[in-house]
Amino acid sequence: MLEYEGVQYKGFRNIYNEEGEATGFQVGIRMIGYRGAWLSEFRFGYIEVDGEKFLADRCTFVVSGVEYTYEETFNLGRVKWPLNEAMIVRVQKPGGLAQGSHTVSALYGQVASYVPFGSGELDINQKPGGHGHSESFGYTREMIIV
Amino acid sequence: MSEERKVPKRGISTYCFYPQLGVNMDLEDIFMHMQDMGATGLEILADGIIPGYPYPSEEWLNKWFGLIKKYDIVPVEYGHWVESRLYPGQREASLEESLEQLIRDIKLAHYLGFTCMRTKLGVISETLDPVSNWREIIHEALPYAEAFNVVMQPEIHAPTKLTDRMVNDYVEFIEKENTKYFGFNIDFGVFQNKPVPEMARFFREDRVSKPEDIIPLLPYVHCCHAKYYNMSADFEETTIPYREVIQIMIEHGWDGYLLSEYEGPHKEDINHCIEQVRRHHVFMKKILGQ
Repeated sequence: MLEYEGVQYKGFRNIYNEEGEATGFQVGIRMIGYRGAWLSEFRFGYIEVDGEKFLADRCTFVVSGVEYTYEETFNLGRVKWPLNEAMIVRVQKPGGLAQGSHTVSALYGQVASYVPFGSGELDINQKPGGHGHSESFGYTREMIIV
Repeated sequence: MSEERKVPKRGISTYCFYPQLGVNMDLEDIFMHMQDMGATGLEILADGIIPGYPYPSEEWLNKWFGLIKKYDIVPVEYGHWVESRLYPGQREASLEESLEQLIRDIKLAHYLGFTCMRTKLGVISETLDPVSNWREIIHEALPYAEAFNVVMQPEIHAPTKLTDRMVNDYVEFIEKENTKYFGFNIDFGVFQNKPVPEMARFFREDRVSKPEDIIPLLPYVHCCHAKYYNMSADFEETTIPYREVIQIMIEHGWDGYLLSEYEGPHKEDINHCIEQVRRHHVFMKKILGQ
């Protein structure tokens, strides 16, 4: 089952390489909405932890078990991020997150062709952080790394 | 045997509960509520309801057909989108890109037993004018809609007014094509004449349709979104003139489905959503004399 919140607790942990060093962390996000997103319409702003922002160039995105860079998602108009599935965002951060409490935010969304264009071109051109007229969501949650 | 009076039928859209699905409830829970309320007509938002959309598994299909039978559900309307800004930089998808999406959904809607579709096209204006190539898209899809026996219906939704040119354009298109496979879903929000207190900034006083504006469109309407924003404790919708609209429907012998669609505040509260939809069906039953 999903959790109600946009930022999902399940899946929140550090990522380790074969040498056992933490190379980053991962966190799940979900669409609190009524449709999933074709990956070409997925928009990502950032993951933010304790005030440090991680943009798309430091993240990869796991959908139904397959990991994509943000650039790879741009052409995937036939691959769906299912509504009933959390997307795992894997974030590069040498050393990972410290044990204990963190404030985790995520900004993301999807293009909505059925609502009017907004003010900017950012969203159409898929620049990271551009959310002019997509259905965009920003969520924050207090979370613990064990 | 006396002739039965034709009145609208009741149903609900899964939209009423969308943030709760996969969290606190699933499709069967919605069916149980529908059974309790005697609201047999169903609209799904296909994308979010069908796991693996647009390619459901055999296992899920078996479950779907089992549940439909168990709860006596009538699959009425299949909600889907034709994305027009599908790729970066795109403002209007090509005819081929649009048809690929639309025909895929026509076939799936038919397979699942639906007879109508809420066909959401991309828009290009503040008053929701559809993409410039909508006639081509629909014209090319009509043979599929006919073969698979599903009616494509754009939803006429505020801030569009029923008297806007785009609605008339649709009517002219239907008449020119002489087709029964393209029509309308009228969202009752077009009649909203009072703001919802918590959502006042969305209310457009200059964009209110009159109940009688629906009369010339009724022959093309197969089902409606019975939009509600605020059901009071004494079972009244406080922002939309339901009685007038439904009375007109009854006078004209319209007997399609009214599909409850809750768009008020506090959708994060499952108990609130359940209470609102129950109140809505008490309200509709009273108006329908049931």
